[in-house]
Formats: sequence, structure tokens, C-alpha cells
Amino acid sequence: MGQIMEQMPIVVDALNIGFLQTLKLFFVTLIGAFPLGLVIAFGSMSRFGPLKYFSKCVVWIIRGTPLMIQLLIIYYFPGLVLHKPIWGGGEAGRFLAASFSFVLNYACYFSEIYRGGIQGVPVGQEEAGLVLGMTKSQIFFKITLLQMIKRIVPPMSNEIITLVKDTSLARIIALQEIIWAGQAFMKGSHGISGAIWPLFFTAVYYLVFNGILTLLLGRLERKLDYFR
Amino acid sequence: MSILEVEHICKSFNRTEVLKDISFSLEKGQALSVIGSSGSGKTTLLRCLNFLETPDQGVIRVNEEVLFDADDPSTRQEAAIRKKRLHFGLVFQSFNLFPQYTALQNVMLARELLASEQPDYKARKKEILEEIHVQAETLLRQMGLENRRDNYPHQLSGGQCQRVAIARALALQPDILCFDEPTSALDPELTGEVLRVIKELADENTTMVIVTHEMAFARDVADHVIFMDDGNIVEQGDPMQVFEQPKEERTRQFLQRYTQG
Amino acid sequence: MMKKLVVFMLTMVMVFSLTACGGSGDQSDSGSDGGSGSGTESDADSGSDASDGSDLEYVKGKGTLVVGITDFEPMDYKGDGDEWIGFDADMAKAFAESLGVEAEFVEIDWDNKIMELDGKTIDCVWNGMTLTDEVTSAMECSNAYCNNAQVVIVPASEADKYQDTDSLSDLSFAVEAGSAGEAAVADLDLEYTPVKAQSDALMEVAAGTSSAAVIDSLMAAAMVGEGTGYADLTYTCGLNDEEYGVGFRKGSDLANALNDFFASAYADGSMMECAETYGVQAAIIEQ
Repeated sequence: MGQIMEQMPIVVDALNIGFLQTLKLFFVTLIGAFPLGLVIAFGSMSRFGPLKYFSKCVVWIIRGTPLMIQLLIIYYFPGLVLHKPIWGGGEAGRFLAASFSFVLNYACYFSEIYRGGIQGVPVGQEEAGLVLGMTKSQIFFKITLLQMIKRIVPPMSNEIITLVKDTSLARIIALQEIIWAGQAFMKGSHGISGAIWPLFFTAVYYLVFNGILTLLLGRLERKLDYFR
Repeated sequence: MSILEVEHICKSFNRTEVLKDISFSLEKGQALSVIGSSGSGKTTLLRCLNFLETPDQGVIRVNEEVLFDADDPSTRQEAAIRKKRLHFGLVFQSFNLFPQYTALQNVMLARELLASEQPDYKARKKEILEEIHVQAETLLRQMGLENRRDNYPHQLSGGQCQRVAIARALALQPDILCFDEPTSALDPELTGEVLRVIKELADENTTMVIVTHEMAFARDVADHVIFMDDGNIVEQGDPMQVFEQPKEERTRQFLQRYTQG
Repeated sequence: MMKKLVVFMLTMVMVFSLTACGGSGDQSDSGSDGGSGSGTESDADSGSDASDGSDLEYVKGKGTLVVGITDFEPMDYKGDGDEWIGFDADMAKAFAESLGVEAEFVEIDWDNKIMELDGKTIDCVWNGMTLTDEVTSAMECSNAYCNNAQVVIVPASEADKYQDTDSLSDLSFAVEAGSAGEAAVADLDLEYTPVKAQSDALMEVAAGTSSAAVIDSLMAAAMVGEGTGYADLTYTCGLNDEEYGVGFRKGSDLANALNDFFASAYADGSMMECAETYGVQAAIIEQ
């Protein structure tokens, strides 16, 4: 126990740096996947056949394959097959490749949630707007959007909390997020070797962060409770 | 002079003919009741008037202006249709109130959006919004809902919701107000309050097209009755005549079924 | 509708296979015409005669030698500061300097080292890498520069029972997948579970989920026994002797350049000096 207390400041420092990387990947993914998911959702609901099938095909491929394989393909494929290592070997390149994979992956999951949300709003709402002389965009922003958001908050919360934990997959392309940082102490890092507890201690970070997210998302859900 | 003229409207879904050559006209200030069994095409007719469906053939005129002509593609443009819809108001069977807005906001929303497109909106914003607000409150009072203005739809009874929906349709001051079975989704004890409001509107000479299953009400409120069956207008005329001495066998059978059941 | 979808999917498959063909075509081209290859790696078959000078020029051209490492004391690790140090790290810096380029260290997932090399996200693997058949067939390797052995790790309380290879048969081992340790236990027909890293193998023993592990002796010296995180573990017999080397892309001329550098650094004593700094002088191989 005494040893752990001694190691604590060093470990926490290293885990903080790893967790910062985790958070960066988390927020970049959300910022990218929220709008991209909407674009894909509209694509897969499009009346224009090729666009519709293209969107559906992308969603099928991305949801049908493991994120870990997507990370490997997206990071290594350009260099291995096309002989153009576009991402580069450094930390920034790995982060960029990881962000790209995560945004694409989560956008596809989000798009299905959006689609369910949009299609879940009764047709009568749009018709009521039309009869009252509203434009399509007025109907979307003033009527459909909020009802859609209310519908998607619970499934979105689920995905968002899964995303926090999924970021750990990025260490397959050596993105040094918190689990990587925790694992480093098992082998030896920062003068500490053979320490197992830092790896398990990373769970505390996930737990606390997901606790905060759960509270915030719960508050949003309650905020939208004023209508049904 | 007729405010509404409908000529030779036909409409098919896939291969099913829902409306077969429908023609009628309506005078300003009159109430028209459309009766007929389910599936006879009544609702589709209303939806055609409100441009929620596009007829395959026929012409629709309001105040002698051609709003729709199946042979003239220029009358089908989306942007133009939006303005044309404003000649009509529509009250839905299932209310379709906007759940995230209060009763008052439901009534005000459409007018606010239209007002924001006026050229002088910025300069007179406060004045315009005040005017819309006052009008909405007046309408709600007329519907007997003055103390319900800040309630959300889920806090209102079905009858109250439908009255808010009527106020919402009236806010845009349509030439012709359409009702699509306005009491069919209501518990029997709540139909009275809605029918009373519609009756009041009729007494104030609001031009209306009412699709309904309430035969007594149709007879009572209407100046003119149309009986539809299988996509055709089988019989039309004065309510007393259609209900008391129907000329057609099909009308007789229909009324018999309704008065029995 | 279904028909359209099928046609679309077939098109996708064709596009994919075409790109794949195009890719491999490029690869054999750069191998066979040999002349002025612009930094692409040579084909594995014709790779031995890396006469095009491509990889060395490629590294010089971009000005950095990207060194793939894992955190591995005393070869590559971070001291007090943010800089990578260790016997391998210091030698890599010196080698880069001799080429007139800068060494850039990148931590990689050890499982993906060959993909990292071939995908050009790194230029070499320089991290106490055992020269196994698998490694030498997939990479262009330098001469061996350091001796190592695979040793058996058991709880200290049971160490007496397992002092030679004949006594190991009732143990269940944890070994790093694809490591020299795995090859060693497989040769002896011992029961084992492959895990992701040597450190995971240690954790298995510490947690009691495996009764023994096989890891590098250098690592064992640094990580188990009195005063380390695994004070209750110890190492007993060695399984096989092995050597460390540096790995480059197949066919790369950088391997020869490094051999020359090793020879001169050994001759002028700078290599041994560096080894003494990190306490590995006894294991260094004459160049």
C-alpha cells in the first residue's frame, strides 16, 4: 500500500496525459460524427436511388465490421498498399487516423439513430406545418427537430457512453490513450515497473467521466420532459 | 359567386381510383358537409384541396383564381403551392398539435413565421408580434380556452386539443376552413364541445368544408350536403332534402345504416 | 430494387479488387526495374540486392529516421525528462546523426511492427528485438549486437522445484504471442497460453492465472525479484540463447549502413561506453 502511495503522483501524471488523449479523441469524434451522421441519415432516406444505396452500403460496411479492423485498415492501408503513408508515423498522424476512423464509425451509428428519430415523428406534424404555409426548412427546424432530439437522446446517451470506452481501441494503432498509459507501468515506465494497479486504476477515470456524462445527459432528458 | 369551384378531380393511388371525377362548388359563408362511409374518398378530397395530395386530373379555383390545373405544370411548383395553401385551413382528425409548444404558441407559430418574411418585419417587429399575440388570445378566448393558453398539448383533453387546433387554423384567416372528421378521435362525451364551436363558426358565416360521421350535426350545421360513395359524388343538395328524401338508393342505404347503428 | 443493390455491391467488390491489383503491380515494378526507385520498398523476392539505394535515400530525403519502439527499460525508456533514453535509443540517435538525419521515436504496438514498417509509418524497429526466424524472414535485419536468453519466471517460493528444463512439464505457461519465448515453450511441448505482451505474461503469474512465464532475461533482470514491482517472482532456468538485432524494411540498404556504423562504433569504443551507461556491457556482441 505504501508503495502505491509513493507511485501515485507519477502514475496519476502519466494517466492524466493518457486521459487527455482519450478526451481529445472523444470530443473530436462527437464534433465530427454529429453532423456527418445527419448527412448520412438524410442520404439513406433520400429519394435519389444511387445516394440512398451508397449511404446504406457505407452504413452496412462500417456497422458490419469491427472498429478495430477499421482502425488498422485506415491507418496501415495507405502505406502498405498504396505506398503513400498519408498519416505519417508520429503521434499527430496516429491521432488523425484514429479520429477519422472514429468519426466515420460513430457517424454511421448516429445516422441510424437520427433516422429512427426523424421517421418516428408522426407524418401529421409535417402535414400540419405544410397546411399552415410553412416551408420544409421551417418545419424541420421549428417542429421536427426538437421532437427528433427528444426521441434520440436516450439511444444517443447510450452510444456516447459506449464511445468513451471505445476510445481505448485506438491503442491498436499505438495511440497512447489512458489504457496504454496504464499498461506501460506493467512493463516499466517512468522508473516504475511491474506495477499492475495503474491499469486497473484507469477504470476510475472512465467511471468518473461516464458518471458526469450520465448526469448531464439525464439533465438534458429531463429538460425535454416538458412535452410528450 | 362561388368562392370554391372544384372541377373533374380524379386521384388514384397506385391502381386504386380513390376520386372519380369530383365536381362541386361552394358559396362564400356557406358550410358544406361531406358524408359517406369510410374509404369513400372524403378525406382524400380534403387533402387534395389542401395540396397534401396532388390530383391526377381536374381544376381547383378559389375566388376565380386557378390554384390547380392538372394540365398546367406551372401550378404544381412547390414554392407557389405554399402560398396557395393559405387559402385553406385544415383541422385534422388527430389534431396534430405541435407538442413542444403551448396552446398559445401553437396558435401563433405559423403567423410569426409568415410575418418574419415580410419586408417591413424588422422595423415593425414589436408591433407585429403584439398584434399576433392579441389575435391568438382572442381566438383562444373564442374557443373557451383562455385559461389553457400556457398548457402543453399533453396537458389538455382531446376536446381542448381540437379546439386549439381550430384556433390555430383560424389564425391564418383562411378563405375556407376544412375539417377532417374533427370528432372521430374524441371520447363521445367530448364531441359536444368541439361541435358547438364549429356550429358557432357556421353561425358567423365562416366558409367551411366538414367531413364528418356525425349525421345529426351534418344536417344541423350544413347549408349543403354531399354524399360520397366509392370515389363518386352520389348525391348532393340541401340537407333537408338529402337526409329526409334522398333520391338515390345508395344514399338511403347509407343513412339507414347510420340511423340504426 | 434488390437487383440494383446486387449490381452495386458487385461493382464495389470489383473496384476493391482492381485497386488491390494495381497496388501489387506497383510493388513488383519498383522491385524489377531496380534503377531510380523513389523511396518505395523493393519486392520481397528481389529484395536482397537493394541496389537502388532507395531506403537510405528516402530517409535522408525526409530528414528523419522514425524509430519504432516500445517502453522497454534499459533499451528504450523515458528517464526523468520527456526524452527517450536507453542503450537502443542512444545508439539510434547516434546512427541517425551519422546519416545526417534526426531520430524520431514512436511507440508502436509490438504486434503490428511489420505492418508499421511496410506501411512506412516507421523506418526501423530498434527495441531489443530477438532475431527469430519470423523476424529475419519479414525484415531486413542488422547484425546481432546483444545477447539475450529466454528465462522461466515462477513464484519465488516455488523456484527450487524448477531449476532445469526437465522439471517444467507440470507448469502452465503464459508467453507473449509471437515472441522467442513462445517458440521456446512450443519446442519443449509445454502447455502455454499466448498473451499480448511480456508484461501481461508476468501479470498472469503474479495473479496466479498461469503458473509460470517465459520472458527476456534483460527484462527479467529489470522487472522481477527484490525491489521491483514483482518482488514475489523470480527467474530460474534459461531456455535458449538468442540475440538482438535491428529490423528494417525487407530489402532496405539501411541494414548495411547500420552494420557499418556498428563496426565503427565498436572499434572506437563508443558502443561499449554507451552500454556501460545502461549496464548491458556484458551482453554486447563484438562487431
